[in-house]
Amino acid sequence: MLSNKFSLRTENREGQTIVFVSGELDLEVASQMRAAMEPLMELSDRRLTLNLRDLKYIDSTGIGILISVVKARHARNAPFDVEHVPNNIRKLFDMTGITPFLAKAE
Amino acid sequence: MTKDRDVTLTVPAQAQFVDLVRLTLYGIASKMRFTFEEIEDMKVAVSEACNNAVLHAYGGEDGQIEIQFVVGVEELTITVRDNGMSFTAADTKESPSLHGKSIDEIQSGGLGLYLMQALMDRVEVHHNGGTAVVLTKKRMSTEESA
Repeated sequence: MLSNKFSLRTENREGQTIVFVSGELDLEVASQMRAAMEPLMELSDRRLTLNLRDLKYIDSTGIGILISVVKARHARNAPFDVEHVPNNIRKLFDMTGITPFLAKAE
Repeated sequence: MTKDRDVTLTVPAQAQFVDLVRLTLYGIASKMRFTFEEIEDMKVAVSEACNNAVLHAYGGEDGQIEIQFVVGVEELTITVRDNGMSFTAADTKESPSLHGKSIDEIQSGGLGLYLMQALMDRVEVHHNGGTAVVLTKKRMSTEESA
C-alpha cells in the first residue's frame, strides 16, 4: 500500500535459481510469496537461493514461509540457502533460531 | 508538568493496513529519540500484535484495530486492541523458538508472541470483550536527563 513495496525477481544460473526478495515480506504479501516459492521448491536438482539484500522487513509470517521452504527442500534432499541478509533481519533470524537452517550446506 | 501525549490510530483489521501502523510507530518513536534498532524492534512487535488481530479477531468479518500510543518520559507503551473473539488457548499457546530443534521438529507458525516478548521490555495480553496486547519499550538512556 505504501513504500517498501514487496517484489520478487528470479534469476536462473547454471544449476541454481536465485530469488531476489525486496521490500516488506509480511502478512499482506505472504500468499504471493508462497505461490511464487512453491514451484521453485520442487526443483530438486537445482540449488535454491534467496537473496535478501533488498529485504527491508520481515514478520513471523515471512519467517514461517522460510521454515516451510527449509522443510520442503530438506524433504527432497535439495540444496537451499539464504544470502546477503541485512543486519535487522539477521537479528530476527538469530532470535527465532532459524539461522542454522539457512546456511549453505555442501 | 507532563501533558497527555497519547496518539490513537484506528485501522481496518486487514493485512494491508499494518504497514500504516508501522509508519505511525516510526514517527512517534523517532520523535521520542528511540534508536534505530529500538524502533525496528517495536515495528516487528507491533506488527505481530496487529497480525494476530487481523488473523484471529473477526473471523473474516469486518472489524477494526485500535492502536494507542502512550508517550511516557522514558518509555513508549503501545496497546493493540480489537473487539473480536478472544484468542482461544490454542491460539495463544504459541510454539517457542526454533533453538535446539531439528529440521523435523521446527514448525512454520507461532513465532509472533515469542518475537513480541523477545523484542519488548514488557508484554501483557488482556481478554475483555476482545483482545488487548500491551507492549512497552523503555528508551535506553544514554545521558542523564537535564
